[in-house]
Amino acid sequence: MSLLAIEGLHARYNAGEVLHGLDITVEEGEIVALLGANGAGKTTTLRAISGLLSHVSGKIDFAGETMLGKGPGAIVRAGIAHVPEGRRVFPGLTVRENILLGASNRPTLKRAAREQEMEAMLEHFPDLRRMQNALGWTLSGGQQQMLALARGLMATPKLLLLDEPSLGLAPLIVQQVFRIIAEIRKRGTTVLLVEQNAHMALSVADRGYVLETGRILVSGKPDALWNDPKVRAAYLGGVEA
Amino acid sequence: MLAILPQLIYTGLGIGAIYALCSLGFVLLIRAANVVNFAQGQFSMLGAYIMLVLLVGVGVPYWAAFLLAVILMAGFGVVFAGAVYWPLRHRSQLAVIISTIGASILLPNVVLATYGPSPATVPGLFANPGFMVGPIFVDTQYLSVMVITVAMVVLQYVIFEKTLLGKKLQATSQDKEMASMLGISVAAMVLITFAYSAILGALAGVLVAPILFVSVGMGGTLALKAFAANIIGGYGNIPGAILGGLIIGLAETLGAAYISTPYKDAFGFLILLLVLLVRPRGLFGELIAEKA
Amino acid sequence: MRASPARPVLLQAALWWRGLPATALALIGACILAAIAPDQNYYLNVVMQAVTYAIGVAGLVVVLGYCGQISLTQAGFFGMGAYVLAILTVHQGVPFFLAALAAMAICGLFGLLLGFASLRLGGHYLAMVTISFQVILTLVLTNWIGLTGGPDGVSGIPRPALLAGTHLYLGFCLVMLVLTVFYTWRLKTGRLGRAMQAVRDNELAAGTCGINIFRTKVISFGISAVLGGLGGALFAGAFSYVSPDQFTFDESIVMLTMALLGGVQSPFGAVLGTFTLIILPEWLRFLKQAYLAVYGAAVILIMIFMPEGVWGWASVRFGRMPGTPGEGAVAPLPLFAVQQSEDAAPVLQVTDLAMHFGGVKALDGVSFTVRRGAAHALIGPNGSGKTTFLNVISGLYRATSGSVRLGNATLDGLAAHERTRLGMTRTYQNIRVFRGMSVLENVMIGAERPGNDARTAPEVMARALAALDFVGLRAEAMQPVGALPYGHQRYVEIARALAGSPDLLLLDEPAAGLNSTEKQELSQLLCRLKGHGLTILVIEHDMKLIEAVADHITVLNFGKCIADDTPRAVLSHPDVIAAYLGEPQAA
Repeated sequence: MSLLAIEGLHARYNAGEVLHGLDITVEEGEIVALLGANGAGKTTTLRAISGLLSHVSGKIDFAGETMLGKGPGAIVRAGIAHVPEGRRVFPGLTVRENILLGASNRPTLKRAAREQEMEAMLEHFPDLRRMQNALGWTLSGGQQQMLALARGLMATPKLLLLDEPSLGLAPLIVQQVFRIIAEIRKRGTTVLLVEQNAHMALSVADRGYVLETGRILVSGKPDALWNDPKVRAAYLGGVEA
Repeated sequence: MLAILPQLIYTGLGIGAIYALCSLGFVLLIRAANVVNFAQGQFSMLGAYIMLVLLVGVGVPYWAAFLLAVILMAGFGVVFAGAVYWPLRHRSQLAVIISTIGASILLPNVVLATYGPSPATVPGLFANPGFMVGPIFVDTQYLSVMVITVAMVVLQYVIFEKTLLGKKLQATSQDKEMASMLGISVAAMVLITFAYSAILGALAGVLVAPILFVSVGMGGTLALKAFAANIIGGYGNIPGAILGGLIIGLAETLGAAYISTPYKDAFGFLILLLVLLVRPRGLFGELIAEKA
Repeated sequence: MRASPARPVLLQAALWWRGLPATALALIGACILAAIAPDQNYYLNVVMQAVTYAIGVAGLVVVLGYCGQISLTQAGFFGMGAYVLAILTVHQGVPFFLAALAAMAICGLFGLLLGFASLRLGGHYLAMVTISFQVILTLVLTNWIGLTGGPDGVSGIPRPALLAGTHLYLGFCLVMLVLTVFYTWRLKTGRLGRAMQAVRDNELAAGTCGINIFRTKVISFGISAVLGGLGGALFAGAFSYVSPDQFTFDESIVMLTMALLGGVQSPFGAVLGTFTLIILPEWLRFLKQAYLAVYGAAVILIMIFMPEGVWGWASVRFGRMPGTPGEGAVAPLPLFAVQQSEDAAPVLQVTDLAMHFGGVKALDGVSFTVRRGAAHALIGPNGSGKTTFLNVISGLYRATSGSVRLGNATLDGLAAHERTRLGMTRTYQNIRVFRGMSVLENVMIGAERPGNDARTAPEVMARALAALDFVGLRAEAMQPVGALPYGHQRYVEIARALAGSPDLLLLDEPAAGLNSTEKQELSQLLCRLKGHGLTILVIEHDMKLIEAVADHITVLNFGKCIADDTPRAVLSHPDVIAAYLGEPQAA
């Protein structure tokens, strides 16, 4: 049984349907990349999984349980954490406070255990330890991304949804972010990764799906996708194809 | 005239502390739910009337009535949120504002219809009216107002800065959707804020009851002072709300003594207009959501 | 195709005498009504109160209904008008009509002052400042005994000699009400009224359509104050007695309830609401003191269940179906007055533009030039700063540093509407149309761009129709814009920007949210625009669209320009491929 099984996923905003029947599976322990140009529906897919959209139909099963129709709170308690596009760090809270709130899906967690987990998290992100008492909005883009990752991991998710972790970051920072993503998987967390940076995404992923205007254009192993002219065309238009 | 100045400052700060309490509840709702609650003063009015009914009508002991009134008002805050805010939460801010204006008409007139128009008095917290410290007569009621206001400010600081609940409340006010994605119940946070805001309003009401009369119109007056305090201090700014409340209290007391008694209520508003013209974002600056 | 009959709605809408016949009929009706009114004081008093109140409530329609700003002191202006008339006629012996004009002028003046103090900031500021004004006014009326007579008020207020009889005076008030309704109704469909509604529906977009948001709000509040003053002055003449308790905050709330109940979007709603709430209590006497409680509950319930009020609710259900613009009713004017110059002079020059948010440098020293007649594309990966760039250029954000020139003018420090006046219009990634208005009205607001060469109402309408023609939405002109599908709303936005005949058109991700057929259409539309010689700066992700349209591309990454060249050169530039696909080098 797949950890996440999506079949015939349709989603619409008031303006109209944006996902026209997606089939996506994610096996336990995998990193799966969702690729595609802007407006292809990648972010919408993640938001549908997280219960943030009101007009969704199809099947979304996580660990054998249906997630469709559940609210975002229930879904994160079930073990799906979402690190959204734009990081959405709480600007008026400190780094430590942001991280602590990541454990909000585990209400029974004792204070001491929570603090201990946060300290452990800071071990993985030395940059954050240095900035631990700084307010969220003062952080650079890269630091905010690290913080958002740390906050997402505090939910101890079985599946982590990552939306555009490299967005707006300098190449060195992007590499750092992807090293962390690889590490996250090593520690046993499954990752569904939305990325515009196809090269980096495919370098860590086990499988990938390429979306175009709400449909799956092609899916498969990274090598196959990387050499598929359709993929390149989806990003850069016909010039290279 | 100058001889009574210290006394006036003492009184002004006491009244100002009431406004500050009211204003604090007002600001919290702005921050947590983006609700400009025009019925904030009615929380005080209701609190004072509940206290009055418990004390005089039912005969509950003084402190029990005091506490019960505050607790009942917390529950009322939740009911208020459910009736006045929740159905409109996805609509424009204008719709919510008008709805709270509706509530600010409804509540005093319900009390008027059930209790009648005549103002009532409530005894002070302490039997001893006060004592002299140097040139100042320290009225115990004003003193307790100031002590309780300080206590509430400290309590609020502790809740917001030192507890996980406070962090969740802050997170909710900064980014509701992100908070919900972390498993924080946004609805619960908003209801808690309404309840707490009603508690602050009720405290202002039961504390001011022995100083002024308990009357149907007191809520409207207090709400106006709370708005003005909030704008003088900076829209949505918590320290600003407290400072603004104290400034209005002082301006009224000093203005009434030195300039004109009948225009007492006008001085606070004159300062408000002045601030709007000279420093429109208030003394502490407006709360602006920083773009990350 | 729908076979709805082609009514010449548009032609009529542009004419100056629109509504005048109905108004003349209403005036005659008003006179007859006043003449045949039963000769009972009680009855006449109730009607007189309703008529004068309705004039005041019409003021709320302007400020709250049209412009979306909350005023809580309509009874304050009403009382101020009444007192000015009373004091001038009784104490100074000023003739009635002169005193009434003075009442309106003084109220208008106070309205402008209060508006000036509070409207630069959010809507709740006006609400609070108007409450303060109300409180202070009541204090002054009660305590400045030398001027106002204190709590006893002023009595013996005369009526004009010609209109001393109650029937005559009632007739006069009814005539004034009809004129007020006419004025308010015409205001809504005129340039100023459209600007007010644009500010109400979408302040950001209103600013980038060239509307001076602050001035529009202040004027709307001023008009509401003048109408309040007029109603009050007539009220004072009607009852010959005024006192402070007639114009308290409670009365302001009553007026607000009247407007909301009847429907705050229309003067007819105001009249309906006022008459209902003045006559109803006469029937609801059993409620006694509780009637205000009922009003309060009514306000909450109206907001929840009938936000458009009775009139709005009824006109949605029983109103006429929107007609279609008669074909050929107005000959479309040429859309573009763009001179096809070959010199390719710079239209937009950006130098070292930077924009920092906290620790994030969204723009970090951007410089490039858009030349006349170019279809210039600005591309870059997500988060590279493109939308921030557009928002800085159009004046929504204030740049941290750097400078921008449009033609020969520098834009630095200018507000959004001033930049638009200089010849720049834009669209938004997340469509920002004015939802309370029709498609045509949306585009007319674009045509009314200050600095545009369409000035008179027929010219504006013709220009708007031409723009709608261009995007193929002329048949939908009279539809409410919210009823259109998403793709068409985007075209409305483009038509709105085109109708202003800009020197530079800024398009923010026009293909976002469109399906592939719609994208094809959009691409053709942009090519046609280019063919007309319009200068376009377009932000876009869809590479097919860019390839089809752009003749120059600038690439942003991390808030910096990484390429600025022809499409072919840019799209094979190794840095660009790396930025998009994330390769270390070109494969």
